[in-house]
Amino acid sequence: MTNNLRRNAGRTMRMTTIYILVSGVAMIIIFPMFFLFSFSLMSDYETYSEWPKPLLPRTSVDYRMDHSGNGNFRLSIWNVSENDWMPFGPEELNRNPDEIKKLSRFLNNYGNTQFSEEEILTAMKLTDQDGFYEFALRKSLIHNYRRFFKLYSGAARSVLQSLYTAGMTIFISVSIGGMAGYAFARYVFKGKNILKLSVLFVRMFPPVAIAIPMVVILGKMGMYDKPVGLSLIYSINQISMNIWITASIFMGIPESLEEAAQVFGTSKTGAFFRVTMPLAVPGLAACAMYSFIYSWNEVINAVILTQFNPTFPVVVYKSLLGANAQVHLIAAGSIAQALPAIIFTLFIRKYILQMWGGVKV
Amino acid sequence: MPDTTEIQDRETKRNLTPYLLIAPVVIYYIIFWLFPVINAVGGSFLSTSLDKGGIFTLANYKAVFKDPIFWQAVINTTIIVIISVTLEFFLAFGLALLINVKFRGSSFFLFLAIIPMSLPAVAVGAMWNSGLATYGWLNSFLIRIGLIDPSNKILFLAGTHFSRMILIILVDAWQVIPFMMIILLSGMQGLQPEMAEAGRVFGGNRWQVLRKITVPMLKQTIITAMILRIIAAIQIWLIIVMIFGFNRLPVLMEQIVLNIDQYMAEEFFRKGMALSVIVAVLVSGVSFIYLKASGAFDDPGSREGDE
Repeated sequence: MTNNLRRNAGRTMRMTTIYILVSGVAMIIIFPMFFLFSFSLMSDYETYSEWPKPLLPRTSVDYRMDHSGNGNFRLSIWNVSENDWMPFGPEELNRNPDEIKKLSRFLNNYGNTQFSEEEILTAMKLTDQDGFYEFALRKSLIHNYRRFFKLYSGAARSVLQSLYTAGMTIFISVSIGGMAGYAFARYVFKGKNILKLSVLFVRMFPPVAIAIPMVVILGKMGMYDKPVGLSLIYSINQISMNIWITASIFMGIPESLEEAAQVFGTSKTGAFFRVTMPLAVPGLAACAMYSFIYSWNEVINAVILTQFNPTFPVVVYKSLLGANAQVHLIAAGSIAQALPAIIFTLFIRKYILQMWGGVKV
Repeated sequence: MPDTTEIQDRETKRNLTPYLLIAPVVIYYIIFWLFPVINAVGGSFLSTSLDKGGIFTLANYKAVFKDPIFWQAVINTTIIVIISVTLEFFLAFGLALLINVKFRGSSFFLFLAIIPMSLPAVAVGAMWNSGLATYGWLNSFLIRIGLIDPSNKILFLAGTHFSRMILIILVDAWQVIPFMMIILLSGMQGLQPEMAEAGRVFGGNRWQVLRKITVPMLKQTIITAMILRIIAAIQIWLIIVMIFGFNRLPVLMEQIVLNIDQYMAEEFFRKGMALSVIVAVLVSGVSFIYLKASGAFDDPGSREGDE
């Protein structure tokens, strides 16, 4: 009995330690992403006038309107860092329709809040009644995302370019890599080890140095500044990864299944397509998503090999290095770019160990 | 003897199949890898392009070796690679052991743990760029939870040369540990638990079992993870440029990009080519030494067997 108890206590201790470690690691992983996300929701005002930033992003903003003397109005905003009302917008406001229009636009652009001209007039009326008027406005959470795509013109088109490129990369690298991966998994042949090492070797030459001659080569083939050309470069790296991954996937499917199918009269090819392939599909899909992520994320080759048709990462990269970089807009661009990768990771998770299980130099 | 010919026929067919399957890869690499590589290597030895009357020269290489920043880059890269690969390996190994325990929620934790590796480099750059700035979220966070005083903001980016390097190593580790962890974890899951159990039964403690049984059995996996990491670590640059900008913490790849893509003159361009050839030689040299030292080349017969 006591022995059992002691074992239980030991187990509890161990599990507690594990959970403490896990939550620590989880926090280290989540925090930076969370803060980037939280930046992507901030208005200009929050970005530039509030510090230290609140731990949680705000979903609404508090405003207060009162008289500035001689019958005019002024607007204040609640600043969470100062814990006080701070002046917001012009010092004096009157009922001039032009100024009201300006203020409405200011609230939208600078505070990420919607407040129409009529609403401003109503607010002024209420201020006249009570001496002041406080109101909370819902913050628009997609405002920065919209602005990113508006400010960096071509960002929307670059998303399409990126998708084309990723599609082509998947097609080329999974088909070519998959064939070789199958050969690696099922056959013993001369030169297998050398080929395996050379697959590693192609990763050793800096991709930038390959991209430069490729500008000329692709130019001659009429594929410069086109998604196809870019996907040809991406496939260099990705094929080598996919050979390993698909080899690992095919190794996980017993060859005896194919042999059994052959006993029942199918050809080797038939056995492959009817038995192995259906079993490999989920793993191969994960492999395709992995290729997507690589292609979707790649920057430097895309910088060199595109001119008028940049991919999405290039747009984000240039916005980051640009002279008037605006943190919250870049955060929005980055989150927009990271989203598909994260979603695909959710799918890949189930197969990721299968993908890498048989990978060996 | 029709039977034998049929068997022979099938044999040759069987032997041909793998070659047919790998033919596309070989052709692909000859056209899209070997050809540009020859171009780049050739170009690094030319004074200008051939059709403009370029002649063989070593000037590009001389320019590289004469450049003090190049030597600085070599030293920085070496330090970063050594520290980061070691650190990442131990952390990744620990993380893999942790997930391998299979606690409640370990599957979700696995998902969480692999997110950083799928994040775009640019997003990671933006994340840390906005985090490490003096008025970034990291200082803001530390103040909010009361760890530091608003007047004592930490100047993350203004530190010494070495502290900048450590910063890069940590940020890089944040993103790439998952990749190493995945490979190690996959290897661990392929092991038979009976082996470790046997070790326990014969009186080994956890640590001994780990060192004497698990690690040796994971040797191949460890070599794979390490070699992929080493190759990638030598080519680190983007995160450095996004956090510090060019030339603040020179590393080899960054110098290549700087010469090839940022300066617009041909001499720099050719210098960049020479630099990339040097880096390629370095990477393959280091990889070869690593593979040799770790015994990846030994006894190919037994390796063929375990596949």
